[in-house]
Amino acid sequence: MLKVEHLDVLYGDLQVLWDISLEVNEGEFVALIGSNGAGKSTLIRAIAGLLKFESGAITYNGILLNNRSPHNVVELGISMVPEGRRLFPKMTVLKNLEMGAFVKKARITRFEALNQVYATFPILKERAQQPAGLLSGGEQQMVAIGRALMAQNKFLLLDEMSLGLSPLMVKNIFDIISRINKNGISILIVEQNVPLTLRTANRAYLIESGRIVGQGDAKILLKSPHVKEAYLGMNPV
Amino acid sequence: MGQTLVYGILNGTVYAMIALGIALVFGIMKYLNLAYGSLIIIGAYGSLFLFRMGVDPFASIPVILVTLFLGGAILYKLFFSRLIEFPEGEKIKNSLLIGFGLMNVFDNLAFIIWTGNERSLTPSYSGVTFEILGLRVPLIGLIGGLLAFFLISILHLLLSRTYFGTSVMAVSQDHEAAGLMGVNVNRTYLISFAISVGLASIPSVLIGLQSFSATSGMQWFNKGIVVVMLSGMGNIYAVFPAGLFLGIIEALSIFLFGATYREVTGLVVFVLVLILFPRGLLGKRVES
Amino acid sequence: MKDLRKIGMAVCLIGLLALLPFAIRSEYLINLLLMFFLYFTIAQSWNLLGGFTGQVSLGHSAFFGMGDLITRLLWIGKVPILLASFAGGVSSMLLAGIVGIPFLRMKRAYFPIGTLALAVIAQITIGNILPLPTYLPGEYMREYRLFSRYYLALSVAIVTLLVVWRTVSSRTGLALIAIRNDEAAAEAMGIKTYKYKVKALLISGFLTGLGGSVFAYHQVSYYHEASFNLSWSFLPTLATFIGGLGTIIGPILGSACFLALNELFAITLGQIHLVIFGFSFVLIVLFLPGGLMSLSKQIKFALKTRLLKGP
Repeated sequence: MLKVEHLDVLYGDLQVLWDISLEVNEGEFVALIGSNGAGKSTLIRAIAGLLKFESGAITYNGILLNNRSPHNVVELGISMVPEGRRLFPKMTVLKNLEMGAFVKKARITRFEALNQVYATFPILKERAQQPAGLLSGGEQQMVAIGRALMAQNKFLLLDEMSLGLSPLMVKNIFDIISRINKNGISILIVEQNVPLTLRTANRAYLIESGRIVGQGDAKILLKSPHVKEAYLGMNPV
Repeated sequence: MGQTLVYGILNGTVYAMIALGIALVFGIMKYLNLAYGSLIIIGAYGSLFLFRMGVDPFASIPVILVTLFLGGAILYKLFFSRLIEFPEGEKIKNSLLIGFGLMNVFDNLAFIIWTGNERSLTPSYSGVTFEILGLRVPLIGLIGGLLAFFLISILHLLLSRTYFGTSVMAVSQDHEAAGLMGVNVNRTYLISFAISVGLASIPSVLIGLQSFSATSGMQWFNKGIVVVMLSGMGNIYAVFPAGLFLGIIEALSIFLFGATYREVTGLVVFVLVLILFPRGLLGKRVES
Repeated sequence: MKDLRKIGMAVCLIGLLALLPFAIRSEYLINLLLMFFLYFTIAQSWNLLGGFTGQVSLGHSAFFGMGDLITRLLWIGKVPILLASFAGGVSSMLLAGIVGIPFLRMKRAYFPIGTLALAVIAQITIGNILPLPTYLPGEYMREYRLFSRYYLALSVAIVTLLVVWRTVSSRTGLALIAIRNDEAAAEAMGIKTYKYKVKALLISGFLTGLGGSVFAYHQVSYYHEASFNLSWSFLPTLATFIGGLGTIIGPILGSACFLALNELFAITLGQIHLVIFGFSFVLIVLFLPGGLMSLSKQIKFALKTRLLKGP
C-alpha cells in the first residue's frame, strides 16, 4: 500500500535521512522505532507532505506522493495524527472533529464518521462543546485520533502517541489503535515507547541516526539482543 | 458638540472598514500590509473614473471590489506569498518592508498619472442630509455606516458558517494541522489576502466621496492600524467598536483642540496604546 | 595586518576627499559628494539599529528632521555651526530616547510601526507649527561657501563611520548582533538586550541628527517639514538594503548606488525613478535581503567552489 524507496531528506544543507526504504501492506500495523533524534518524525512528516525530500520516492497504492502538499496527501487517502496533537485550541471538540472531515469526499459521510468516532471514544461525545484546549492530555489524544479518522481514509500515520500521557492512558490508546487496525485501517506508527509498540504491531523497522538498521516481525524484534540492549535497557543474556 | 460627534461616529465606521481588511490579513497570516492605504486610493481613482463615465459611486463598488480582489491576488502571488516560510517576527517585519516599497511605488505612480491634485466624487446627492434629533446626518455617511455594519455581518457569516470560513479559522490557529485536515493552506492565504484587498473597495468609494489625492493613502492606513491595535491585532469583531471609539476620540479632540490636530490625535492614541497595552485593549486573536 | 592595510587605505581615501575641493572646480561634483556623505551618514546610522541590531526603524525621518530643525534654529540664532550641529545631534538623540525607549519594550514586530507613527506625527505636527519656509538671512547668504558645507558633511560622515565601526567591533557590537540573530537566546545567555537596544537607538538617533544638521547648514531655503518627510525614512532603509544590511561597507555601496541612480533617473525619467526605487526595494527584500554585499559573497563563494572542483 505505502512504499518508501531510497528516501533522502535534508534540512537545508544538513542530511538527516539516508536511503530510507520501507513498506506497509494493506491491513498491516507497522512500527518505526528509534530513539530521540533518530529521524522517525522527520520520515513520517515527509510522507505526510510537511517536509520536502531530495531523492527517492514515496508511493501510495501506486500513486506517487513526491513532495505533494499535505492537503493532497490527505485527499489521496493518508491521514496523520501529528506529534503533540496539534488540535485547534480555540475550537470545540466537535468543531475539531468536523475539521477532520474537511476533504470533499469526507464531507458527505461526516455524520456516520462522527458517530463512529463517538462509538470509539465515548467521552468525546460528552465533551463535544468544550474548547479543545481545555481537555486533558489523554482526551486531546483521542480528539486528535478521532479527527484523523473523520476523513475515512484507509491509512493512518501516527506520530508519537505516547508523549506526555500516563502509562494507563498510553495502554488505553494503544488498545484503541489496535482495534482500529483490526477494523481494516493500515497503520504506520512512530514511537519511542518500544515494548508496547512491538507488542502491538505486526512488523517494525529500526531507525538509528537517520538510517534503517533493522526490520522484521515485531514479536521477534522484541526478543532480539540488539533491541533489548539499545531500547529496553537490558543486558544481552 | 453633538454634531461633531455625529461626524466622528460616521468617520469611525469608515475607519472600522479599513481596519477590517488589515486585521483580516494580520489575523490569518501575520502580515501587515502597509500599502493598504495606497490600494484604497487606487480604488478611489477607479470609482472616479467610472463616475466620470456616468456610474454612480455606490454602483461602482462591485466593479472596484472585483478589480481590487484580482489585484490583491496578483500582489499576493508575486510578493507576499514568498514570505510565508519566515518566523513570525521576520514575517511582520518583512511584510512591512514590502508594503513600504509597494506604497512608494503606488503613491508615486498615482502621482505621476493623476498628479497630486485633490479629487472627489460629487454625485447629485452629495449634500443631502437628514435631520435626526436635531442633528444633521449626511446621507452618504449614513449609507457608509450601514455598509460597514453589513460588511461585518457578512464577514461573520462567511467565517462561521461556510467551509471556507472554518478553514480560515483553522489556518489562523495552526496552519500545519489545517493542512493535515485537507485545507489547501496556500490557496487559503491567497484568497484571504485577495478578500482583504477587495474589501478596500468600500472605504475607497466612501473616501472618494469625501476627498483624496495620490499621496493621501498613508493617512488612511494610519487610521486603520490604530483601530486594529485598539481592537487587539487580529480580532475582527472588536474592529467595529474600536473604529467608533477612534472616531469619537477624534471628534472630542476637534472639540477641544481644533481641527488641525485631528490626524495627530489618532496617531498619538496609537502610540499610547502601543506603549501601555502591547496586546491591544482587548488582546484577543481571530475568534471562532 | 589586514586591518592595518584597511585603515591605511581609509585614511588615504579620506585625505583625498579632504583635498578634493581644492582640485576640482565643479560645484556640481562637490555638491554631489556632499549628498553622498549625507546619505551615507543617515544610512550607516540607521544600519546600526536596523542592520546590526535587527530593529527596523521606519521613522528615522523624525530624527533627521529634529537634528535639522534644532541646528537651523540655533545657527540662524547666531550659534556657531559646530555647536549648533552637535546640539542638533543631541536633540535628535533625546527624541530617540523619549519615544524609542518605550517602543523598544514592545514585541519586536511593532517597533517599525511605532517608529512610522512617530515619523508621521512629527511630520504633521511640524507642518502645523512651522508651516512657513525658512530663509537664510542676508549676511549668511553672503558668507555662504560650499566648501564649509562640504567639510561639515565629510566630518559628520567620518564621525559616523568611526562611531558605528567602533561600536560594532566592541563587546556592544557582539551583543547587538546576538540580539539581531535571536533575541530570546541572547537574553537567555545573560545579555541585557533592552539596555543594548536602547544604546543602539540613542547612537543611531544622535548620528542621524548630525546628518540633519548637515542638511540645515547646506540648504538655503526650504519648508521645515521637508526634512520630516517620510522619504528620509525610506532612503536609509533602501540604501542599506541595497548595499548590505548589517555590514559596514553596505551603506557606503548603497548610498553611492542610490545617489548614482537618483542622478541618472531624475534627469532622464523624472518622477518615475521613485517608482523604480520602490520596486527595486521590494525585489531586494524578497530576493537579495543581504544586498550587494551578499551578492559579492555569493559570487566569491561560487568562484571558489568552481576553482576547488577543478578540471
